[in-house]
Amino acid sequence: MRIAADRLLGFALIGLAAFAAIHAWQLQIPFSYEPVGPKAFPIALSIILALLASVLIFRPGENGHWPNKALALKLIKVLGVLVVYASLFTQLGFIVTTFFAVLALSRLFGATWKKALITSFLMVLCSYLLFTQALGISLPDGYWLSDFI
Amino acid sequence: MFDFLIHGFGVALTPLNLGLAFLGALLGTIFGSLPGIGPINGIAILMPLAYTLGLPAESALILLASVYTGAEYGGRMSSILLNVPGDAGAVMTTLDGHPLAKKGLAGPALGLSAVSSFVGATIAIIGLTLFAPLLAQVAIMFGPAEFFALMIFAFSSMAVMMGKDPIKTGIGAVLGVMVAMVGVDSGTGVLRYTFGMAELYDGIDFVVMIIGLFAISEILLMLEHANRKDVDDEMPPLGRVMVSMKELMYCKWTMLRCGLIGFIVGVLPGTGASVGGAVSYTTEKRISDTDGSFGTGNMRGLAAPEAANNASAAGSFVPMLTLGIPGSGTTAVLLGALMLYNITPGPMLFSERPEVAGGLIASLYIGNIMLLALNLPLAGLFARVLTIPRWVLVPGIAILAFVGVFQLHSDLTAIYLMLIIGVLGYLLRKLGFSLAPIILGYVLGGLMEDNLRRALAISGGDLGVLWQSGISLGLWVAAAALLILPWLVPKLLSGRTRQNNAG
Repeated sequence: MRIAADRLLGFALIGLAAFAAIHAWQLQIPFSYEPVGPKAFPIALSIILALLASVLIFRPGENGHWPNKALALKLIKVLGVLVVYASLFTQLGFIVTTFFAVLALSRLFGATWKKALITSFLMVLCSYLLFTQALGISLPDGYWLSDFI
Repeated sequence: MFDFLIHGFGVALTPLNLGLAFLGALLGTIFGSLPGIGPINGIAILMPLAYTLGLPAESALILLASVYTGAEYGGRMSSILLNVPGDAGAVMTTLDGHPLAKKGLAGPALGLSAVSSFVGATIAIIGLTLFAPLLAQVAIMFGPAEFFALMIFAFSSMAVMMGKDPIKTGIGAVLGVMVAMVGVDSGTGVLRYTFGMAELYDGIDFVVMIIGLFAISEILLMLEHANRKDVDDEMPPLGRVMVSMKELMYCKWTMLRCGLIGFIVGVLPGTGASVGGAVSYTTEKRISDTDGSFGTGNMRGLAAPEAANNASAAGSFVPMLTLGIPGSGTTAVLLGALMLYNITPGPMLFSERPEVAGGLIASLYIGNIMLLALNLPLAGLFARVLTIPRWVLVPGIAILAFVGVFQLHSDLTAIYLMLIIGVLGYLLRKLGFSLAPIILGYVLGGLMEDNLRRALAISGGDLGVLWQSGISLGLWVAAAALLILPWLVPKLLSGRTRQNNAG
């Protein structure tokens, strides 16, 4: 299983190297006096990457423990929360999205509902004050309120 | 010769910079104490905020550098108390630190490790003051070819010193360099790897890269540790955090020796605190472990890695400030931070921007004293930080990461890019990669290509220019030796023992 993961990575990297090399090869370069140009370095890198990756295929090393099913599901949930947080960040504004993102994350990391609610409330309050008042960063207000009114 | 230092103290002693050094020391110790949030994560999270505050370059650098040194102090907390290294540099600290805490000596262990950290850092800062200007004078003679050879040397020394898997270190470095290729090519204006996305024309933003790679992947990794059972969750009683004269005398040579070793390892480009700690621990074990008590709670076994990892941290500033080649993953991030200010560290830094170089070095002296003062009496308070549950920590990191990246361009693409990089970083870490080579490759990639092309432009395309001068030839030979020797020496040695056995 472990060894298979390294082999798979090796093939993926060779694919990446091939892709990078082809992309560099096809660059349209305006005339320049420079002897090297923008192609050579990426192509050289791709070759090195492909060589190292083939070593990995022939002599796969060790890697860490892979998550089991339950953990993988949790990982996907955490990522899902982060993606939703990002996608609604400007629409609903910092305060609303952050509240729910913190709530969901702390629940996923094992807090009880009560603790999670208190954490999200305090964290939104503190971070909002820190960013806007102390650091002078402008945060997205969201346009839901104006639409609503 | 030490004009820069006097000038630097003038800069470092202004109220703003003193305050920032103190703030950085405090935050750094806290970040270092938290398991999983090492110096790089601390700096990654704070950097965009420091940038928005509109601090001048030297002040921002003072803040971030004191976070770095503070984190090396803080890393020992969870190593000693919970058997979980707070950062990569503190891995060896667990070996004797945690057994000491189990014996009920947590207080003295924390005290001794704070003093060792102080001694190690002091040695290295003095070393930095003495050697950096000298090295800068040598480095003035460096042309593009020499810099290119130096970067090759940095990567090969990293591949060897990082230990366990040189191939993966190499792949990581190449991947990092490739990420640096994204964007407009400075020489010709050609767009590379942008796939028509206007957001990528300027390349992958440094802040997006490090927050994604370190902070986001760390959040995903923490999910896993939350379910682990092999760590001690129960904190041993602290007792009084004090260190006796007897213990200090017992460890004094250890601290001096390991401080020196740590400094030298730190100066080598590409190798940072984790390597310094490991090398010094094994050396010290060979020298002074007469009764086999290393690993069971020997005071010297605790003092050794602590002196060394702080010394490495300070030592890794030498190549960063004088050559523009970071000595560790964390200094790679600091180098990137300086580049955000359009300052490229290198031999001219000491003469052209003495307030940056001198101010930083002076603030390291000041910060080190602050850190000792903070860490002896307040160790108990910092130990409390360890009890912050993950369900508070993780949302906190997520908010700081999101806001830090969002305020760069008020743009969601950067946030999505950060998340993608985070997932890739997580996968690479699960596959046994360490992130330091990637970040080093990413920071050095552009410089490497520029120097290569400049060298070849001067020679008209003749590759020979790359190893024409004595300095660059020496660096190539050294790089090759580093890669070949670890593979060759054991073979030769085993050959010899076989002969001995036969004879």
